[in-house]
Amino acid sequence: MRNLAKKRLQENLRQSLKYLVLVFNDFFILALIFLFGALMFWYAQAMKTMPENLWYYRPLVGVLLWLPLLIGKLVTLLKPADLQFLLPEDENLSSYLQPMLNYSLIVPTICLALIAGTIFPFATIKARIEPLDYIFAVFAVFLAKMLQLKIMEYNLFFNRKIAISMVNILFLFLFALGMFRPKSMIIVAGLLIIILIILILKPQHVALFDWQFAIEQEEKRKNVVYNAYSMFTDVKERQTNIKRRKYLDFLLPKNLTMENPNKFLYRRSILRNPENINLVVRMTAFAILISWLVQNWLWALGLSCLVVFLTIYQLVPMVDEFDNNIMYRVYPIERTKRGLDLVSALAGIMLVQWFIISISWLITLPISLHLFEAMGILVVFSCAVLRLYLPAKVKKRKL
Amino acid sequence: MTLKIEHLTGGYTGVPVIKDINLEIKPGEVLGVIGLNGAGKSTTIKHILGLLRPQKGKITLNGIDLAAQPTKFKRQVAYIPETPVLYSELTLKEHLDLTILSYQLDEKQAWAKARELLQLFRLDDKLDWLPIHFSKGMKQKVMIVSAFLANTDLLVIDEPFTGLDPLAVANLVQLIKDAAGQGKMVLMSTHILGDGVQAVSRYAVLNNGKIKAAGTLAEIRIYYGLKETDSFDQIYQILSQEQQNA
Repeated sequence: MRNLAKKRLQENLRQSLKYLVLVFNDFFILALIFLFGALMFWYAQAMKTMPENLWYYRPLVGVLLWLPLLIGKLVTLLKPADLQFLLPEDENLSSYLQPMLNYSLIVPTICLALIAGTIFPFATIKARIEPLDYIFAVFAVFLAKMLQLKIMEYNLFFNRKIAISMVNILFLFLFALGMFRPKSMIIVAGLLIIILIILILKPQHVALFDWQFAIEQEEKRKNVVYNAYSMFTDVKERQTNIKRRKYLDFLLPKNLTMENPNKFLYRRSILRNPENINLVVRMTAFAILISWLVQNWLWALGLSCLVVFLTIYQLVPMVDEFDNNIMYRVYPIERTKRGLDLVSALAGIMLVQWFIISISWLITLPISLHLFEAMGILVVFSCAVLRLYLPAKVKKRKL
Repeated sequence: MTLKIEHLTGGYTGVPVIKDINLEIKPGEVLGVIGLNGAGKSTTIKHILGLLRPQKGKITLNGIDLAAQPTKFKRQVAYIPETPVLYSELTLKEHLDLTILSYQLDEKQAWAKARELLQLFRLDDKLDWLPIHFSKGMKQKVMIVSAFLANTDLLVIDEPFTGLDPLAVANLVQLIKDAAGQGKMVLMSTHILGDGVQAVSRYAVLNNGKIKAAGTLAEIRIYYGLKETDSFDQIYQILSQEQQNA
């Protein structure tokens, strides 16, 4: 089982590296450097003007150090097929999970090191925590993460469920209050070491492994990771969880007379496929945010036009979304006019996007006549991209 | 009103799985295609549905050539796959609406028929459910309801009984019999003979990608030298022997 775990960890590392190379591309690295530089500049300036040793500084350090506890769940790399092929291996799961637990510590430890390094000047200068006490506090957080992962492992067996949220809240109080007297972190670290040693040395009672629960947890964990990757690249392993969203049904036509099979499918895909609706929501929120930041109707219009274009551009693949469904190909569905069908289906949602952006302008930007002109131009631009660009782009795709 | 498969050779990426298949189904006829795994049953069905391009041969339904008029051809064919395939975005009601739209059915009449079928398969209170909430058997029932709702001249059914409860199997067999009684053509691939046998009027035995025998149950028995007391399932042992000798 240990060899299987190691083999899976190697595969997982290879897959993660493949996606991480795509995520941390040149542009993203550049953006990160700028962002980090700006943050550090602001931090350095703030450190000069910040008053020293206010009462809440130390618990604030405790809360900030606690944050990495929220990052990273227990990586088990269990697969649905394990339910069939590893079912009699309950007894040997400890040796499978041990390397997994070590692996699960890597990302939270990196995050902890980054956060601890960043707030070190604030903690030692402004909160007046002794460097040695601070190191003990960071070490205690690391041990707390180990214990939290151990509890996650414990929860994978039947009749053993400890709420992780309660554990996190307990640690939050422990670190926030404990930092009032930083020396107490030595005791906290000592106690955590004792608990961990007891847990490791304690003879393990054979318990029934909750395979269904463990596999579900791993699928959820993987999907969170894949969702993060998918913001930068296509992730073929990602599962799409369709949501019914009945409250959006008012956006669908009430009868079938004006419908055709393609329009019927596209409309429902926009509203229920999280990939599509999340994209529209994300882009709309982005348009609102940048409009508010620029505080100028002309810039807001230009940038919102760009957002509208990017929304439609990213929705183009919807046109062949159903091609892999065998019934779509068996049903007598006309496929030659799919571009126009997609235009009809997207018209409603793009109108909603325009309406929300326009309302946000009225709320956040200085009111002037230009604002109404901008609203008019935006709706015309939206229609033009939808009716001229989209069908042309669809034609170029191999359908 | 016939389905004609003439000299059909086909398969995947140039490798012929089925060779020179000739079949004809007349109105009111239920043809059971039987054979071992890998004999070519599903490949034949995929060709009839237009999912694979024939390397040779022709498929026509009521005189309409599949290659020349695919949409017109498909409008006369309904399909129940072995593994249910549903749209994860659509509720049960919307699957039926999509069938009405695709097959250009009269909405009122279609929904009257849909309600009967939904009641028969105990799905009438699940109209607003998404496929994610259905069991495998329930999904298969949705496929059956959609296929019979389409009211086509030809029904293609691939291994229909897997995952269905005995009540649903009996209902499906009755629906197939009724369809045949109304002059429709049914092509059914199965190796669970016990269930299908009541509805099937003629069999075609497929082995090594070729039609080895075709005819009624009695004719097939005679062809393979089976006594009346022998189980019809013995045919599979003979087919397996044939495969080894090939």
